Amino acid sequence: MNRFRSFLFALGVLAATAGLHAGFGGFDLSKLADPKTADTVKNGAKALKGLTGIGPEEERVIGGSVALEIVGTYGGLVRDEAVLRRVNLIGRTLAGCSDRPELTWRFGVLNSDTVNAFSAPGGYVFITRGLYALADDDDQLAGILAHEIVHVTKRHALKIVERSEALDGGISLVAQQNSKVRATQAQLQQFDLGIDKIIDTLFKAGFDPKTEYEADSVGRDLATTTGYSRDGLRQVLQKLQQEHLASSKKVFSTHPPLPERIRRL
Amino acid sequence: MKLPVFVVMAVLLAVPAHAAYAPGGTAYTKRLQTSLLAEPAPLASVVAKLQYALKLKVVEVRGAWVRVSAGGNTGWVFAGNLAEQKPAENSDALEHMGVTASETSASAAARPLAPAAVDYADRRGLGQARHDVEWLEHTCDAIPAADVDAYKQTQKKGEFQ
Repeated sequence: MNRFRSFLFALGVLAATAGLHAGFGGFDLSKLADPKTADTVKNGAKALKGLTGIGPEEERVIGGSVALEIVGTYGGLVRDEAVLRRVNLIGRTLAGCSDRPELTWRFGVLNSDTVNAFSAPGGYVFITRGLYALADDDDQLAGILAHEIVHVTKRHALKIVERSEALDGGISLVAQQNSKVRATQAQLQQFDLGIDKIIDTLFKAGFDPKTEYEADSVGRDLATTTGYSRDGLRQVLQKLQQEHLASSKKVFSTHPPLPERIRRL
Repeated sequence: MKLPVFVVMAVLLAVPAHAAYAPGGTAYTKRLQTSLLAEPAPLASVVAKLQYALKLKVVEVRGAWVRVSAGGNTGWVFAGNLAEQKPAENSDALEHMGVTASETSASAAARPLAPAAVDYADRRGLGQARHDVEWLEHTCDAIPAADVDAYKQTQKKGEFQ
């Protein structure tokens, strides 16, 4: 069985369980083998999907899980409410002009001196303390945040798990589970593997250069439309390059080379 | 030589905020409700309320504002409230998130970590990260939409630029 088909199946179950049963705090394993419940889950998973395969409720589950991994890996969050307020005022102003203004957007600062930024599906955006300190003004900070917002609006992380999926096949597998416990463990395992795939891309492999250049370009347009400088991100990248920070610490290690990004902006 | 103010203003207003929008082209609404305004100004009177993912005809572009027509109505929309392509999500999918057409973005907020994500945190030993993310969500959601609007006005961003 294709593991990503299994991931989507597991995700459909998890999202349907979370979204359709209000107040439910965990997974009711005993119900998964009940044919009526299986139908509910199957129909629910279908109903939750938009036009793109992974629906909003499923995106929320994936996004929350990825956000947990980002925060857990990068030193937790800077709990400075003034900093958080500034980042969120700028971030929400940008997000309001993005292609997905109705998401619940949250912007946080990671307690790490590395220089990087991340986003997770569903509207989570993170900037490291090291990168936050490098931004001289709101325009530069906006340039960074806009780049990450575009990763969310373009569903770049979701495409990692969508790419090799056959949705209907995954959903229909609900009728093939013989052991409710074994089935649930398999679903959870497949779900976790899917999150691992996204995390591996965010932390190690990075998005492909074309995806990053798209985020740079569309993010620049988003910042401009919102009223920030067109050159905010470019200025940050130039500053990094000029100060030779790349040689002393990890700088956008999961992104394409700085000179090429600057040239294209 | 000093240019007359009206000349400078005319040049500025003639520059499209977003090259993608041009007279004769199309645009889409991307908010659950978008106000069609009588004038290219954020506090202008509302001509009509446009529904989500509505296809619009671009009539004119003036700075950050786009004059559009749809369903017999013509009026102005800030470019940041429009999309070049039809939104990917359908309204049914958004309604499953607890968002309805009668709600604003602000009231649709305050959505905590999904139970399945909480379960993921427990399974992966991410208890501290869970506390951090829940703090983030609580603190972010405590910033009201009115504060964002006030920021936009004072900093001249979005429709207030």
